[in-house]
Amino acid sequence: MNTIVEGAIRAFELLTSGDRDVFQVTVLTLVVSGIATVISLLLGIPLGLWLALEDFAGKQVLISLVNFGMGLPPVVMGLVVSLLLWRSGPLGSLNLMYTPTAMILTQAAIAFPIVVGFSFAAIVSLNPNLRLRLLSMGATPWQVNWLLIKEARLGLVAAVIAGFGRVISEVGASMMVGGNIKGQTRVLTTAIVMEVGKGNYDIAMAIAFILLMITYSVVVSLTILQQDKKLL
Amino acid sequence: MTMITQFRPFLNLQSYADRQENLVENNEYVLNMRQVYIDSKRRKNILSIENFTVRPGELVAVLGPNGAGKSTLLRTINLLQPYRGQMQLFGHNISDANKTWLRRRSALVFQETLLLNDTVFNNVAKVLEFRGTPAHKIKQKVHHALATVGCEHLANRSARSLSGGEAKRVCIACGLVTDTELLLLDEPSASLDVGIRIQIIEKIRQWAQAKGTAVILVSHNFTDILHFAQRAIALFDGCIVQDDQLETLIRRPANQQIARLVGMDNIISCQLQPNKHGYLIKLANSIEFSYFGEVKTPITACCLSGDAFYIDDASYSIPYQSGMVTIEGRVERIVRGIGTHTIRVKVGEETLTARVPRSDISDNVYHNAMIKLAFNPKDAHFV
Repeated sequence: MNTIVEGAIRAFELLTSGDRDVFQVTVLTLVVSGIATVISLLLGIPLGLWLALEDFAGKQVLISLVNFGMGLPPVVMGLVVSLLLWRSGPLGSLNLMYTPTAMILTQAAIAFPIVVGFSFAAIVSLNPNLRLRLLSMGATPWQVNWLLIKEARLGLVAAVIAGFGRVISEVGASMMVGGNIKGQTRVLTTAIVMEVGKGNYDIAMAIAFILLMITYSVVVSLTILQQDKKLL
Repeated sequence: MTMITQFRPFLNLQSYADRQENLVENNEYVLNMRQVYIDSKRRKNILSIENFTVRPGELVAVLGPNGAGKSTLLRTINLLQPYRGQMQLFGHNISDANKTWLRRRSALVFQETLLLNDTVFNNVAKVLEFRGTPAHKIKQKVHHALATVGCEHLANRSARSLSGGEAKRVCIACGLVTDTELLLLDEPSASLDVGIRIQIIEKIRQWAQAKGTAVILVSHNFTDILHFAQRAIALFDGCIVQDDQLETLIRRPANQQIARLVGMDNIISCQLQPNKHGYLIKLANSIEFSYFGEVKTPITACCLSGDAFYIDDASYSIPYQSGMVTIEGRVERIVRGIGTHTIRVKVGEETLTARVPRSDISDNVYHNAMIKLAFNPKDAHFV
């Protein structure tokens, strides 16, 4: 109990004292997870839309793979990306291993099936005749897709929350492809693991509090957006 | 209940005349379907249309039981349903033309009330936005369309907060907001109050006639169809079984199915025997009469509309018509309606339904009374 209280006090001190290292790690965490979430949204929402609206052979298989991907252990994704980016791997020439870019790619890959799955569920839960009605009203297929996305925004914000929550709290994959290099690839989760390894439980707790506060702030903002009556 | 108190005239008869001339010159039909078929893996003949055409300004009703393919027909015409066969819209072959462009020349009001999660105004305005209508014209047109269906006061309300009837009227406004050439209505009066139902149907009819818009109306409500259409088609199992003037379809249905569909009061099994003057008709309830008209054999039933009967009563003299057939039966029930009473009379094994003006019913007509009914054989129709 003492450790938790001490951790909370330390977190407050670290935040108020403007510790440069903590600030850098926090910013990198937000940048890496934020960009990864945006990439997963840009790719995942169209795929979810397509899966929900189109009928094709093998659709069930693809949906089952997406659902499987939603529960894929991040460390496995980290291993796969490591093998691809490793010097002797197929993308080794890009020299991305142990860089924030590698972490972004890995986190985007982790969030991608989650975003696809949530988007698919959000779109498929709309009345299937709504698409036909929009076409009937004279909308082009692009206009129809955009309006369907707007109609499903409640579920799509849930996709953002789930995707972001998954990647910002992820540690194994970031450690594997990022390497937890101070000032370069250290993020809040990898910093916690390192501090625990060093026996600095109070600092680990302090960073954990910061991580929780950031995550909660982002999720609260998205929830307000989701529940905004003007937007609904 | 919201009453529509004001009817706004639908402008611009000059442009209508121009458009009519243009349409008739360039395209004889707004819709021309030839051998259009729709099948699915689970069901064959969802739609099987050999020939169906609609001219500019025509008001056509589509009748049919549930699952006959009425909604599928409208969706096919609106290019929302894949099909095999040949179809032309506004003189253009579907395969050669841009589907979005063709859809923008027509409008479909769905059976379901499907509105976007937005205000009523924005829902109706969306139809015009898709067509690139300038913003200053959108406001005027949307308010005009909403006023037509008595919903102008709902413009700023969220579509989610509307009642079923209000949402339906907003959907109809979406169909009326453009100068469409072909309006497709799928049960437009469903979920509307009885009082407002006829008003809305009448307004759509006036709107269509003023604009010269062809309309295809699908409705289970026969009153709507009677108020609206000039021509009717009967659809069964995806096939058009009868395509006729509405009056003909009601009085002279092509078969027993259609007779039941249009609510023919009396469908009585019968036999036909040729005699020297024409035919001797033997009905199931032992009534026999001579018929001098033409009959397309074979036949199985005689259709007699309820309003073909007169009460042959000492206190009331029926209009003299030669060859009237008189039958006697016991009154089972009298249903008192507005202007017309419906009397169910047991004649032999059959119960006949007669619909007679209230003024024709004397004190001699009451429950279990023996009465005489008369009808002119010319009013009989054989299927």
